[in-house]
Amino acid sequence: MLSPRSLRNLKRELSRSALAKTGIALVVLVVGVAALAPLVAPHDPTAQNLDDAQLPPLGFSETENSTTTEVVDGEVQIVNETTTINATAEHPLGTDSLGRDMLSRVVYGARTSLLVGVLGTFIAGGIGVTVGLVAGYYRGRVDDALMRSADVMLAFPSLVLAIALVGLWGRAAYRIPDPFVLLGITPDMPASFVLPGTVVVVVGLVNWVWFARVARGEALSIREQEYVKAARAVGASDARIIARHVLPNALTPILVLGTIQIAAIVLLESALSFLGFSGTTLSWGFDIAQGRDYLASAWWISTIPGVAIVLAVIGINLVGDWLRDALDPDIEGEGGGV
Amino acid sequence: MSDSQRDVLRVRDLSTRFFTEEGQVNAVEGVSFDVRDGEVYGIVGESGSGKSVTALSVIDLVASPGKITSGEVWYRNPDLAEEFRAERPDAVRDEFVDLRRLPKGVRRSLRGPGFSTVFQDPMSSLNPSLTVGEQIAEAVEVQRRARANPRSTRSRTQGYGLGKFLVDSLVPGRDYTGEESHERAIELLDQVGIPDPAQRAQEYPHQFSGGMLQRAMIAQALAGEPDVLIADEPTTALDVTIQAQILNLLRDLQQEEDMSVVLITHDLGVIARMCSRVGVMYAGQMVERGSLSDVFDDPVHPYTQGLLGSIPDLENPAPRLQPIEGNVPSLLDSEMGGRCYFADRCPKAMESCLHPIEMHDADAGSDEHEARCVLTETDYRPEEALPEGYFDGGDGDGGGGGRETDGSDPEAREEEVRADD
Amino acid sequence: MSLARFLLKRGLQGVFVVWGVVTVVFLLRFITPGDPISVIAPLDASPATRQAIAAELGLNRPLYVQYLDYLVGLLQGDMGYSYISNTSASARVFARLPATLELAVAATLVAVVLSIPLGVLSATNRNEPVDYGATTFSLVGISTPNFWLGIMLVLLFAVEFGVFKTSGRGITSARALSALATGNLDVFVSWLTYITLPAITLGTYFTALITRLTRSGMLDELGSAYVRATRAKGLPETLVRYRHALRNTLIPVVTVLGLQLGTLIGGAVITEAVFAWPGLGTLVINSITGRDWVVLQGSLIVIGVGFVLINLVVDALYAYLDPRVVSD
Ligand code: SF4
Repeated sequence: MLSPRSLRNLKRELSRSALAKTGIALVVLVVGVAALAPLVAPHDPTAQNLDDAQLPPLGFSETENSTTTEVVDGEVQIVNETTTINATAEHPLGTDSLGRDMLSRVVYGARTSLLVGVLGTFIAGGIGVTVGLVAGYYRGRVDDALMRSADVMLAFPSLVLAIALVGLWGRAAYRIPDPFVLLGITPDMPASFVLPGTVVVVVGLVNWVWFARVARGEALSIREQEYVKAARAVGASDARIIARHVLPNALTPILVLGTIQIAAIVLLESALSFLGFSGTTLSWGFDIAQGRDYLASAWWISTIPGVAIVLAVIGINLVGDWLRDALDPDIEGEGGGV
Repeated sequence: MSDSQRDVLRVRDLSTRFFTEEGQVNAVEGVSFDVRDGEVYGIVGESGSGKSVTALSVIDLVASPGKITSGEVWYRNPDLAEEFRAERPDAVRDEFVDLRRLPKGVRRSLRGPGFSTVFQDPMSSLNPSLTVGEQIAEAVEVQRRARANPRSTRSRTQGYGLGKFLVDSLVPGRDYTGEESHERAIELLDQVGIPDPAQRAQEYPHQFSGGMLQRAMIAQALAGEPDVLIADEPTTALDVTIQAQILNLLRDLQQEEDMSVVLITHDLGVIARMCSRVGVMYAGQMVERGSLSDVFDDPVHPYTQGLLGSIPDLENPAPRLQPIEGNVPSLLDSEMGGRCYFADRCPKAMESCLHPIEMHDADAGSDEHEARCVLTETDYRPEEALPEGYFDGGDGDGGGGGRETDGSDPEAREEEVRADD
Repeated sequence: MSLARFLLKRGLQGVFVVWGVVTVVFLLRFITPGDPISVIAPLDASPATRQAIAAELGLNRPLYVQYLDYLVGLLQGDMGYSYISNTSASARVFARLPATLELAVAATLVAVVLSIPLGVLSATNRNEPVDYGATTFSLVGISTPNFWLGIMLVLLFAVEFGVFKTSGRGITSARALSALATGNLDVFVSWLTYITLPAITLGTYFTALITRLTRSGMLDELGSAYVRATRAKGLPETLVRYRHALRNTLIPVVTVLGLQLGTLIGGAVITEAVFAWPGLGTLVINSITGRDWVVLQGSLIVIGVGFVLINLVVDALYAYLDPRVVSD
């Protein structure tokens, strides 16, 4: 699917772009953390410990001075009290309002984000590429009908439509057994991982239009190529031509768009779980929402998951930029954000 | 010297380098030539020989990562000479000023009244979203404003900035160009032979044919009433039949306006038809120059001989450079040894060619015929010839040429073409 | 094709899209689990109420009759009656629309005013500190979820410094502007304290996106042949940049803006949720959590129609910038 020339361009671009290297490093980090979550997380991310609630991250130990007046022996005295909340190495990123370890929650949150991002992108890509290739290959009425319906889709902002669909369909979630726990490597960790099923389907359903637009453009030009005409001349079926000739040659821009879409869907997922339209509570967006009530007393609860999102999305976007600069498909401005 | 023999431009030892990731590319190296009043001077060479970069260097339009690294561009302009004689004595010699030593603003103010340029591809050389008339009117307007207030125009914006752009975009009808400039633009379109100029002036470039666009480009170049018109491959992008029309137009205008033209082309037929004197470029250097008959009838440099060998008849409508065996060197500094750059392709290369070669007087008959070749001084001696395959190994020896990189690596080729664009 | 014909053509396409939006919204109720009445009626409605609602809505009639009925109602501005909030849906939706428009316009203004100069500056000072700053900003800007940015702004400016309001809308922008006109600065400033943080929250992604597009577009244009020719004919650099390069840069920028309108509206929804901004976004979320299906339908339709209308404006802008679109 990638020609040797493309591969060489990728290498060249990578070697001269510090940003591309940064992006790959970030993505490898996030993927690694997500895959090995039970090994990386120091605690069970769902284990509550109200005694250790709202511990600050390392380096942010807090002292609070409070002045109270007390009546001692009939006399009014002013008492200065100093309370210290010490950060501990046990919870390097602090704990949330229920005493759950922030670092562990961030680590597990990476799983949710990436799984939803990647699976959602596959669904969106599957639908969108099919629609786009068919529209571009057949042109005419088929094209008109399909692309007008894509226009209708575009008129619904993906977040709004996603909220509506999740709201209507409910928040179905599936428990996937965690292999590390199953094998007894990390018995203390949650035995299963919650995949927010509705969200995966919905983010795919609301984002297919971008793939359709790009795939259609590619199909329109590829169908005029000699090898497609030749295949048609020898009587290959349309389905076969699309699968064998059109799709493989349209893959480069689809690959680049897919990368950008993972970033967009990670953002979309975080927005959905922030608003409470998700099926899992182990998600960066959900934690940010949790922390809102404690902004004045425990700023880190909202802050830290957000930093995780930003780093992950920057990483994916940088990889996307790298692919785009090296492979040079013409898809500027395609793909929605949040 | 009679009046028509006076020089208007003397380029001396001009060098331009591109600082690319692959290394330093010596696109133009020590190029010198003179252009006289009212003549058409030809510069000929293959693509990648540095002829276009030479033109861009003269008008100071070399874009990053390119940079003019040395040389002088003497331009005859008594007014400027007077103005800077006291201030910058080193930049003034008689009636000439060295553009490279003048302030940037002054240099830029000469674009238009001093030098105008017609580029190779008219389709991409006009702004697609402004009407053709508007773009020509701009070129007129900028000179009108400059004449009205010569001081402030040199460096300033002529009162046009981001704020004004926004206002212009929001309030239709306000514009940079005035009515007079538009009328002049229509006159110019008429002058270059565009029928129905008032109507066509209101059209956009995509509504023009290639030949008509090149006429419009020429009209735009005439707007500043230039002393020197630089035409960089003006006909390469056009159909053969249109080429002849454009060349005729250029020649007619050159005589009408009595300007000098520097014609840059790879097409020997164009040179033969248009030019009085010619310089041949190879690998960033000028390898032979002289009057048309010196160079075409009596070439000395084996490269020129090779080029001309392909043309049975100079009147042939579209003679092309003969593909001489081998490739144009990459011009990468690291790969250019201290030797004749043509040696790896030269059928007469000898041991004495393996050191830097200067320009030499080429023959006794003409005092302006020069060539960069040892054969101007000595005769070819077969016993000193370099052995077959001397440059193939790439084994250091100051040689190596461009062969290893060329052809095998498309990127290196692209780089080279870009350096010439 | 003249400009009028171009816009007419786009307008007709827009009408088609609106029809599609309405149809999808109408059909959505049939792809929801459970019967439509259970979605439309309040959760605690008695079977008798359900019957009554079903009869009143004509849910027992054939589908196409219901559909035509719905269309006719919409054409008369009737989006149905909400039994949950006990108001007509259109009244609720249109009461909320101005707040969302105000937020979106403020954010777009902020974005356009900041991003285009920043992008130009970045391109014309390539590989200099200002360029690195601008590219870093735009990378972070397009990668930051706006709801989190909003919360961070609240943390910084409201919790720490107490400068801005973090919830609600205050007075309308029309009143704020008239206060400014009459010199009533206090009122205007108080309006600013409400809208500033939401506008930054919503506008940052677009500022970053347009900065990025402007920068890369300017770099392309400044390296193009016509820019070189424009310099060669003696035009001052300012004219070359703004009159020629920037104008052509804005063509793709406008196109992308049109494509990304949905992102703007989606962003408004979540920004409203963060700042309790009483607009369509909060209405959408509330109507979903409150199962106020009729209001949700109305909101979706208004959003869709708004999208189509704004896109028409974008098309006009595009045609104005790029003469190739209409002159052939
Ligand atoms: S100097 Fe030598 S190698 Fe160069 S052209 Fe002359 S004869 Fe050939």
